[in-house]
Amino acid sequence: MEEEKEPAMVTPGEVLGTVSEFKPGKGTYVAPHNDTVFASLTGYRRNISPAIDSSDQRPIVEVTGHKAHGPVPQPGSIVIARVTKVMARSASAHIVCVGTKSVREIFNGIIRQQDVRATEIDKVDMHLSFRPGDIVRALVVSLGDARAYFLSTAKNELGVVSAESTAGATMVPVSWTEMQCPLTGQIEQRKVAKMAS
Amino acid sequence: MEYVSPEGLRLDGRRPMEMRQIRAEIGAVSKADGSAVFEMGNTKVIAAVYGPRQVQNKSQQMNDQALVRCEYSMANFSTGDRMRKPKGDRRSTEISLVIRQTMEASILTHLMPHSQIDIFVQVLQADGGTRSACINAATLALADAGIPMRDLVTSCSAGYLNSTPLLDLNYVEDSAGGADVTLGILPKLDKVTLLQMDSKLPIDILENVMQLAIEGCKAVANYIREILLENTKQLEFRRGV
Repeated sequence: MEEEKEPAMVTPGEVLGTVSEFKPGKGTYVAPHNDTVFASLTGYRRNISPAIDSSDQRPIVEVTGHKAHGPVPQPGSIVIARVTKVMARSASAHIVCVGTKSVREIFNGIIRQQDVRATEIDKVDMHLSFRPGDIVRALVVSLGDARAYFLSTAKNELGVVSAESTAGATMVPVSWTEMQCPLTGQIEQRKVAKMAS
Repeated sequence: MEYVSPEGLRLDGRRPMEMRQIRAEIGAVSKADGSAVFEMGNTKVIAAVYGPRQVQNKSQQMNDQALVRCEYSMANFSTGDRMRKPKGDRRSTEISLVIRQTMEASILTHLMPHSQIDIFVQVLQADGGTRSACINAATLALADAGIPMRDLVTSCSAGYLNSTPLLDLNYVEDSAGGADVTLGILPKLDKVTLLQMDSKLPIDILENVMQLAIEGCKAVANYIREILLENTKQLEFRRGV
């Protein structure tokens, strides 16, 4: 077995072992015909010992590549998105961050009317909840249709986190439905996120 | 014309079973997710890989696997006579298709549904064997991009002139009109992903020529592995500093 100190470097197609010896992890694959584990990436090979309580006592073999791929939104992840368009029944947004990581390409998201808040979901007015340009924290509900991810702001800590007023200043949240412009004192309607203090 | 001299040397001074010098470099295009330059003698190609990324044309999106696209082009200055070829002529369309199918056989497309991978290859200098050089460059670029693959795909050509099997034909030998076999293999899995031949050969001679091409592919594979390992080592070293 490999020494943990000196991990071997492998390239795609190299044999790492058999299925009886190892459990295939990331960066590896199993050929269906001969139960052999192969590498599918270039990088260092690592053997990870299995959890003590797991029924499967084979060590997991994985290959860590050097290129990190950009994060991809998944159902359940919290994302930061910029609202691009507000319509009567939905608002579309560009996802810019997944968790704490910024994405490398644009993913489209859509916040439907029924996903804006948890209560009185039929009385939501989209135009009184979001404006184009707002920065929103949202939860990915599902992969959605082919065009966009479905996002939801139906939680206290979700909603608009940063918005610009018509005067051009960053507004201050006043309540969970209102934000105020520090320059003009004008109050605008938003679905405001409750920030952890 | 005499392509192999009585002393057993070819026009460029190589032995019949000798390859041209190969050289590869990773990371030639900084914007791309993966890129490489590959040279076989005077043939020089550059490859860039983008992706896996979102599918641009939604109608081509597949729910169970990634879409692989490939574009082959030849620089106007790549050949001796500077020709202005329209983009998407029959030759380049065919080679694009060949490269795409060859690479698709190796990429684990089922791991990346709803996404697309773009491979761009351009010939900077053409001296025979551009098809092989493009496939080798594309393999390197894909490996650099960290796209999961079954195995590296490597390619090499072989021919039959003056009743001698010749490895890795150059332009003069390629245009001699003899048989030209381009072979692409998965070297560790011992599988053929590409086999093309123009003109005809008796089956027993084809076997010899193919065996020669397989040896060539394996030599290329060893070199590519070396380059990849060297590149990974350097990246690790830089990260460590």
